[in-house]
Amino acid sequence: MAERARAKNVLLHAALVAACIVSVYPMLRMIAVSLRPGDRLLSTDLSLIPAGASLAAYGRVLAETNFLLWLWNSLVITTVTSFIGVSLAATAGYAFSRFRFPGSKLGLTLLLGTQMIPAGMLLLPLFLMIMRLGLVNTYLGMIVAYSVTSLPFSIWILKGYYDTIPRSLEEAALVDGTTRFGAFYRIVLPLSTPALSIAFLFNFTQAWNEYLVARVVLCDASKYTWTLGLFELQGQFLTQWGMFAAGSFLVTIPVLLLFLYSSKWLVSGLTLGGVKG
Amino acid sequence: MASVTLSRITKVYHEHPVLDDISLEVAEGEFMILVGPSGCGKSTLLRMVAGLEEITDGEIRIGGQVVNHLPPRDREIAMVVQDYALYPHMTVAENMSFGLRLRRLPKDEIARRVDEAAGILQIQSLLGRTPRQLSGGQRQRVAIGRAIVRKPKVFLFDEPLSNLDAKLREEMRVEIAKLHQSLGATILYVTHDQVEAMTLGSRLAVMNGGLIQQAGAPAEVFSRPANHFVAGFIGSPTMNFIPGAAAGGGFQSPDLSFKLDGRNSVSGPVVLGVRPEGISVDKAAGEGWSEPVPAVIEVVELLGYKRNLYLKAGDQRLLAVADASFGGKPGDTVSMRFQLDGIHLFDKETKKRL
Amino acid sequence: MLSSLLQVAQFTALLAAAVALLELYLHVHFTLFEREWFLPGTVLAAGLLAAGAGRSLPLTLAAASVQLVAALVFKHVVRGRHSLPIMLLAPGFIGLAMLIAYPLFFEVYLAFHDLKLTTIMAWSRTGELPFAGFKHFAKVFTSSPLASVTFWELFGRTVWWTFINVSCHVAGGFVLALLLSKVQRFRGIYRTFLVIPWAMPQVVAILALRGEFHSQYGFVNIMLARMGLSPVEWLTLHPLLTCTLINVWLGIPFMMVVILGGLQSISQHYYDAAAIDGASAWQQLRHITVPLLRPVLGPAVTLGTVWTFNNINVIYLVTGQAGGTEDADILVSALYKAAFTFYRYSYSAALAIVIFLILFALSLLWLKFSKGSESVYG
Repeated sequence: MAERARAKNVLLHAALVAACIVSVYPMLRMIAVSLRPGDRLLSTDLSLIPAGASLAAYGRVLAETNFLLWLWNSLVITTVTSFIGVSLAATAGYAFSRFRFPGSKLGLTLLLGTQMIPAGMLLLPLFLMIMRLGLVNTYLGMIVAYSVTSLPFSIWILKGYYDTIPRSLEEAALVDGTTRFGAFYRIVLPLSTPALSIAFLFNFTQAWNEYLVARVVLCDASKYTWTLGLFELQGQFLTQWGMFAAGSFLVTIPVLLLFLYSSKWLVSGLTLGGVKG
Repeated sequence: MASVTLSRITKVYHEHPVLDDISLEVAEGEFMILVGPSGCGKSTLLRMVAGLEEITDGEIRIGGQVVNHLPPRDREIAMVVQDYALYPHMTVAENMSFGLRLRRLPKDEIARRVDEAAGILQIQSLLGRTPRQLSGGQRQRVAIGRAIVRKPKVFLFDEPLSNLDAKLREEMRVEIAKLHQSLGATILYVTHDQVEAMTLGSRLAVMNGGLIQQAGAPAEVFSRPANHFVAGFIGSPTMNFIPGAAAGGGFQSPDLSFKLDGRNSVSGPVVLGVRPEGISVDKAAGEGWSEPVPAVIEVVELLGYKRNLYLKAGDQRLLAVADASFGGKPGDTVSMRFQLDGIHLFDKETKKRL
Repeated sequence: MLSSLLQVAQFTALLAAAVALLELYLHVHFTLFEREWFLPGTVLAAGLLAAGAGRSLPLTLAAASVQLVAALVFKHVVRGRHSLPIMLLAPGFIGLAMLIAYPLFFEVYLAFHDLKLTTIMAWSRTGELPFAGFKHFAKVFTSSPLASVTFWELFGRTVWWTFINVSCHVAGGFVLALLLSKVQRFRGIYRTFLVIPWAMPQVVAILALRGEFHSQYGFVNIMLARMGLSPVEWLTLHPLLTCTLINVWLGIPFMMVVILGGLQSISQHYYDAAAIDGASAWQQLRHITVPLLRPVLGPAVTLGTVWTFNNINVIYLVTGQAGGTEDADILVSALYKAAFTFYRYSYSAALAIVIFLILFALSLLWLKFSKGSESVYG
């Protein structure tokens, strides 16, 4: 019996290790390519640390392209949109969690319904609006286009989390002397840090990783986000592969860290809000 | 300190009446208990005083001022609830000073009040901790402390002891009683536990079905319950009820009959109530006790200092209390006597005291 | 860079000012609506404001009547009880209305008019477009959105793409979540590694994987060669299959996390009780795990299906470059290309509406036949 249990355990771990390799390998390959020396970019070598490994590609991507400018552009746009998105979702989610008002159920359903709208469908009218407002090629145009993309999902997450905070806390605050909004601001918001972080993460990654809208709104290379810039590099596949891999790895690091940092809240945050309803 | 006056309070919730025409006067410094089974509307009533629940009809006054439309923060009340509702992201000291900070009191005044309250409740050593690090009893003390520092006109307690285990509950009960003596505060206290109601209150209001069934001093409510419900709710173990008829100065039911003393005027269908302490199985004939009625012992429970006897007279089941030394066994036939001035008669139809 | 920062600051300030004004407007209405002069007073104020701005009588009347409607709504519908939720919701819903609802209506308008490269300049000057009726809707079914592929081919591919992807996501996510829930050691480490495809920026992940399917230097063909098999022209001959493989890899972690959350919420007591009743591991899976996961799985599958149906990223990034193939396109990627590669604006608007209606109809059917909907809307 113990023998069988041990064999089963070994099998379990073997399967998981295999799955981990499949999920991590592409990134390792990317790192490997970024380390290749310039004259050996095109090779059928599969080793993870190539012979003659060098950081030359990193130097080149920073020096010879506008990589840092692209990162800066992405950072400005992403940070502003995330703050707008999270603050709008924080208040709206609270209204849905704590109040029964005419249309509250309909509102929640409509929010889910927005997930059904094909992204490409809104993009054209949005693009035309941005064009008529003269916001093509501006941060502002991008921020406008991005600001509500993750809003419905964020509202659901936050509503789900607020639902788990006992109402008696707010009532205690009311008796202690706050207004209703004060109870939300001083008690509920500080307690919702995990859900606010998750919502921020979603807004941030959504905007940080976005490509299709950026391609339409931005055509001036000085306003490019990194997604546009890297795509450009990757287009010149045979010559710039090392630089593309180096740049990719650089933009992946911060998002990956953010993601892993919040992953402890991911399981609970998602089951609470996004899915369980 | 202030008085609280409820006049003709009605609460309708989703077209379903929860409270019906409640009037109650709580004097300054009085410890008033609202007691009743769950769902009787007592918590709703308390939350209406706090301003957390809308008032459908009627008027609430605190210290003579009508507060119907005042938000909770302007009512100068403090509340302690069953789950304590301590703010998890604040330390004990911050929890206690929250209300004072909102009112922008001077820092040294806040510190002085928090120290004072912490001293009274002996929680000085906990001030720097967060609620998560406290035991149930400690949380309870902090919740009370948070109410004390505010120096409110009225304290509201909503089942504050229900989440504590039996031993702690007794301890805190004594604490709260002492607190009332030392602060002399007006307190409205909601509970479903009739022991708390009896021991703590200077007055209590027994509620059921959205109505106040009886309001009065504990001893009065215990000895002269106004109706069948109050008689059954107050007192432990519960009062025995025997349906039957009173006629010609005696009581008769299909299973037993005996003479009543001095109640010749009552006649007609009644329910007779007698507390377990009012039934004796080993008493010789004597002044104030009825003639013997035969009964069979079904079960005997030893509680240490006394015994519960489950008796059966005909088809009528009764609970009696005997000394621990009582030697009867299940199956034995005994003759029981009723203490005549411990007998309550209720009208069979209206359930009111006769 | 400085000027763009300034622009952002300006925008943020404008936004804050707009929200503040709106909240002030709401606040005034909520605090004053019980006074007798509230109705006539606000109507008068709005009228005077419009008149004072030097505008015409009709405008004054219009402003006054808009204000009258708003005031009536406040006085009779809102009744003060819902003031806080409405104020909390207002900013978010105004954003949604401007950036989702308005574009939707605008899209409908576009579909019935004629906007293309030759008319766009005139439109941006005058805002007027020639009416086109149902012309574009007819074209959706008769002409190709791209070069040669037809609408119905695209539709078939979309169904295939959605079905294969979602099935693989759920199956893969379920197996991994189950494995994860069974191991005690290293669980955290495994989970961290397994969510990496989700955590990586999609653009990076897709482009990197696209490189791995390169016929000569990609990992896949190198491995095939080492096993003595002939290389496959993934990107040119089997683009849809390549996209599907990439998207399966990308999508499994989300389902895994959701299902893992569901598994953890199932109490061990059920398994203990089933074990005492003599249920085998398989029977426990079949009769406890799967049914109890339903409330989590139903909504996740619904959302996953919609997201996959609408997924442009993978296909566009793999095949979207100049000279890219159209053999992998599904409805939404064809829509994107029609609008932004071929600049057929009004045509793509009509196509978008057709796609939306299809998705809407399918969703209704799905909601009707699945009990999962209960927990979505519950």
